[in-house]
Amino acid sequence: MRNFKTTALLLTVPASLMAIGLYAAPILQVLALSLTEPKFGLANYQGLFANAAVGRVVMTTVKVSVMTTVLTVLASYIVAFAIIHMSAGWRRISLFLVLVPFWISVLVRAFSWITILRRRGVLNSTLMDMGVISTPLDLVYNLFGVTVGMVHYMMPFAILLLYANLSDIDRRIMQAARSLGARPATIFWRVWLPLSLPGIALATLFVFVFSLGFLVTPALLGAGKTLMIAEYISVQISSTSRWDLATSLSTMLLLVVGVIVFAAMRSPALRAAFVARPQQ
Amino acid sequence: MTSSHFAKDAAEIALEKFNRGEIDRRSFLIALGGLGLAAAFKPGVARADASEIVVCNWGGAAADAFAKAYGDPFTKKSGMKVVIDGAGPAVGTIRAMVESGKVIWDATDGGMIDSLTLGKGNLVEKIDYAIVDKSQVPENFAGEFGVSNYVYSNVLAYDADATKGVAPTGWADFFDTAKFPGKRTMCKWIQGQLEFVLMADGVAPADLYPLDVDRAFKKLKPMLADIIFWEGGAQTQQLFREGEVVMGNIWHTRANLLNKETPDKFKWIWEQNILSASAWSVPKGNPAGKKVFEFINSTLDPAGQLVLLQIMGNGPSNPKTLALMTPEDAKVNPTTKENAASQIMLNPAYYAEHETELQNKYLDFISS
Repeated sequence: MRNFKTTALLLTVPASLMAIGLYAAPILQVLALSLTEPKFGLANYQGLFANAAVGRVVMTTVKVSVMTTVLTVLASYIVAFAIIHMSAGWRRISLFLVLVPFWISVLVRAFSWITILRRRGVLNSTLMDMGVISTPLDLVYNLFGVTVGMVHYMMPFAILLLYANLSDIDRRIMQAARSLGARPATIFWRVWLPLSLPGIALATLFVFVFSLGFLVTPALLGAGKTLMIAEYISVQISSTSRWDLATSLSTMLLLVVGVIVFAAMRSPALRAAFVARPQQ
Repeated sequence: MTSSHFAKDAAEIALEKFNRGEIDRRSFLIALGGLGLAAAFKPGVARADASEIVVCNWGGAAADAFAKAYGDPFTKKSGMKVVIDGAGPAVGTIRAMVESGKVIWDATDGGMIDSLTLGKGNLVEKIDYAIVDKSQVPENFAGEFGVSNYVYSNVLAYDADATKGVAPTGWADFFDTAKFPGKRTMCKWIQGQLEFVLMADGVAPADLYPLDVDRAFKKLKPMLADIIFWEGGAQTQQLFREGEVVMGNIWHTRANLLNKETPDKFKWIWEQNILSASAWSVPKGNPAGKKVFEFINSTLDPAGQLVLLQIMGNGPSNPKTLALMTPEDAKVNPTTKENAASQIMLNPAYYAEHETELQNKYLDFISS
């Protein structure tokens, strides 16, 4: 057994080395640049907090990420809840449909949303043909379009996380509740929901952290008006040569995400998501 | 920066046309030659030695299939092998190269403004005008650290169907939503943006610089909800085609393509167009040494610049090219006399000084 463990551990060495070389080293380089560009010290970080524009970018990012997270988790919970109640055949088809967007590039998805949401797009044309609206609605190149695109991107992740959690819940508990006279609504609010909190917590954390770093979707669907952190950093690197700003902001983002993940992992709900899997 | 965005866009236009079979290989080669693009495309990082010229630009779109088709003929003509590195000559990259003493590029297509920024940072060689024939281009295109091989303009393009055939007469009409209802587009990159806003607000061309940023923002503020900001040339065509906007400040090359697609619908005016110049720069300690200036000099040749205009729409920096143009060529060229009548020239010195700060202020402004 010990031999096997050693061998297994050795087998991870190449992958670990690659991860360090391709991932950890560049991050350290960014960290180093943030402290030395142009002079050694914490001046870049001080500048970051004094910079009102950066503050606004951060606020936009948090606002969009919170909206995305709430909508994604809510919608995904409904989908996941429906899927676990389906027959095996329908469940397979539904899960397949959930997975399809995974195989489509984020760029293609953003452009597809533009096609659907633009002034002469699918949605506006349909609504106008039906006589619901007389002038096209502004559905894209603004905050609304960005949120739609991001929720769509994040939903498969959240659905799968919630599906895994929900399908692990022991159904005999619901039978017990029913036998004690609980109505369906009571069973949902007092049994399903509390038991799925670990899944909800995990999905929320995942979607929120992921949303903070969105680049392509806000850039394309926001058309300059929804400026989020990732795009801001990219502009500072490639267009304005403000590496001081870009590297210190990247480091801060990484730190904040680290703190959020660390804090969240200490919550009982999330610990349960990783540890207490009911045996079936 | 924006000039680099433009160079990248010009190469994309040529590639699209080539793919659609609208231009033949030979013309494509010559056109890319004008951009300094025709040559062997080497995958990965270019390794320079003294027998070749390594040119860096943003034209990474072309694959190494072009290497065989175009590299050899060019070498035959010029006697020098030219290698393209499409990595993009960002000022920061050049700085890193020069400071570490590992310069691999001989010439970079970064625009007049970048050439000044680089010159100020002591990162590029002075253009050797003993080899480069200064008389080929106007005085302001032959800078100390950069010499221009093509020009382009920001123009007011419009959807004639939406304006019911009425042509706008200048940038003031961009803001006249009563007369021309509908959305507008302008660029997310700062060059050539505040100039048009200020001209629309009545600032005389001579008084544009230094740009009155507060005044421009004040003028722009009420319009923000009606503006879609573009970041690449192809997107501007898309926005017009889809009827998303009725008017916009876009590059003349893209306005021309729109017009060719649908001549009666999409038009543009030359009134108050804003001219920018590209420029070659030579990083300090470039591997090919003085030889690079022979290459740079060859890109100023009128014949090549004419083909560049015909294929990509980039205007020539060499005025002698004007004499070679057909009336059709002249119509779409920003340096033709009639088209340049009310033209203003982007001030590279001003941007070299203020662009970073301006760009960030502008991004903050349009997103808040």
